[in-house]
Amino acid sequence: MKKLLIISSLLFCQLALAEVAVIVHPSNNNQLDEATISKIFLGREKSFADGQSVVPLALADAAPASSAFNDAVLKKSSSQLKAYWSKLVFTGKGTPPKEIGSDEEMLKLVATNPSVIGYVDASKVDASVKVALKF
Amino acid sequence: MKPIILANKSFRSLGLVLVTALLPVTALAEITLNGFASIRGTSVSSDGGLEPFPGFEEGELSFNPESLFALQAQADLGEGLSATVQLFGEGRSDFEVEARWAYLSYQFNDKHRLSAGRFANPIFHQSEYEKVGYAHNFSRLPKAVYIDFDFSTIEGVALDSQYNLGDYSLSTKVLFGGWSGESFSAVTNTFVDFGMDNIISANATLAGDWWQLFGGFFAAQIDGTSIDNSTVFPLAAAGISAASKTGATAGQIEDFKSRIGWDNKDAFYWFSGFAIDRDNWLLDFEFVDYVVKDSTDAANQSWYLALGRRFDNVVLTVHTEDYAQSPDHDFLNGVAHPALLATGKGINNAFGQREFDGVGLSVRYDFHPSAAFKADYFSGTDTRAAVGDYKILSFGIDLVF
Repeated sequence: MKKLLIISSLLFCQLALAEVAVIVHPSNNNQLDEATISKIFLGREKSFADGQSVVPLALADAAPASSAFNDAVLKKSSSQLKAYWSKLVFTGKGTPPKEIGSDEEMLKLVATNPSVIGYVDASKVDASVKVALKF
Repeated sequence: MKPIILANKSFRSLGLVLVTALLPVTALAEITLNGFASIRGTSVSSDGGLEPFPGFEEGELSFNPESLFALQAQADLGEGLSATVQLFGEGRSDFEVEARWAYLSYQFNDKHRLSAGRFANPIFHQSEYEKVGYAHNFSRLPKAVYIDFDFSTIEGVALDSQYNLGDYSLSTKVLFGGWSGESFSAVTNTFVDFGMDNIISANATLAGDWWQLFGGFFAAQIDGTSIDNSTVFPLAAAGISAASKTGATAGQIEDFKSRIGWDNKDAFYWFSGFAIDRDNWLLDFEFVDYVVKDSTDAANQSWYLALGRRFDNVVLTVHTEDYAQSPDHDFLNGVAHPALLATGKGINNAFGQREFDGVGLSVRYDFHPSAAFKADYFSGTDTRAAVGDYKILSFGIDLVF
């Protein structure tokens, strides 16, 4: 029982310490707050403040950073998010962000396209991208 | 939801070849495939022995009435232009596949998108995704409002717009179109040819983080020659005959027929309501009002109220609904002959005879990233003697991909 408690505590600490970084291209100088990022990833905002079109990319469901981002920024579980997008996809009103398989691929896509906004585990961020916000 | 995205030169399977055949796009087009399905067993029983809604099977458990599937392909042609087709089949139609949607869209800018072709008719707030079970927490949207209108898919043009107003968002839709097909008549319990011309529709939804306010209307001119000849005029035949024998003139009878008929009359539908999703409590309300004006149709005022509670991946919902009609004899003002007057009132009352209400309990369990198990129990009362008190029990799975 004691071991179980220790393992649970360690897991909790790990989760509590896990940070998600929202990343953009280094040339992107737009100020992005949580509300704007939420609108972008829910399809309600289609441009950055400077007029540049925005292409949001999401990590696959299985990635820990994905559920952390959905909970912290979009305030929705994976199922709620799917139900939300179902209403838009099957009424022709929107398409969900494309899913990317790994943090590394996400970093590469963001680093090479000024329109892209994505998120990764904060510990994976490198100099090729700019961190817009951390959660 | 994980869309399947393919460059069309990589198509190999028969299904994908079918999609490309339906969407002959350029070699550069990117095709996104999505779909949804419901597999649901439904048991219906009524004291009167008649099923409360067409398509249901009274007295037995059946997977036929409420099971369906759909495959949607969207071809992105670039520079804002896209083509969408949705192939749809449901158990009640022996899973006969139809192109429920087939339209082109052009995204002008961040705010506005114009679509033309065949698409969902936004009769009420959730009509456009009424068949997508995964999108809501019910086994079926409350029948008092979402009663399976046959004109749920129309041909026309639509403009969708999206605005950000500070912390709020406003989405609107305006539409022009038409529809022809068959519509269910509760008076005769049969389907009759029916049409709607010059449909004009507009709706809006204002949303914050945890709330939505919505409203809209649609107006149309009825193409009702068939329902007049198959239902309205036969119902009036005996009264007209009696009137002509007791002094009614030919002019009076023609005037009377033009009053009771539906053809070329104006239909008007409107809805309003709200939705709240806060701290895992959910509250939804929608009120609808519709009528074919100046005819024997009875005005309909219906609503539902639902309260839900989310427990992690389980949602419990209890709801009550009411489908009410109000016969109104104003369309007979000026009809002097007592036999014609009585006949007109009788037909109006017949069209307004069907009312129902009830209470339902639904549970949704998201057991899989793309699928939800749902079960529900509904207890209602229908004013038609052939139905009376009725129960609906169902369970099944809704999924999206």
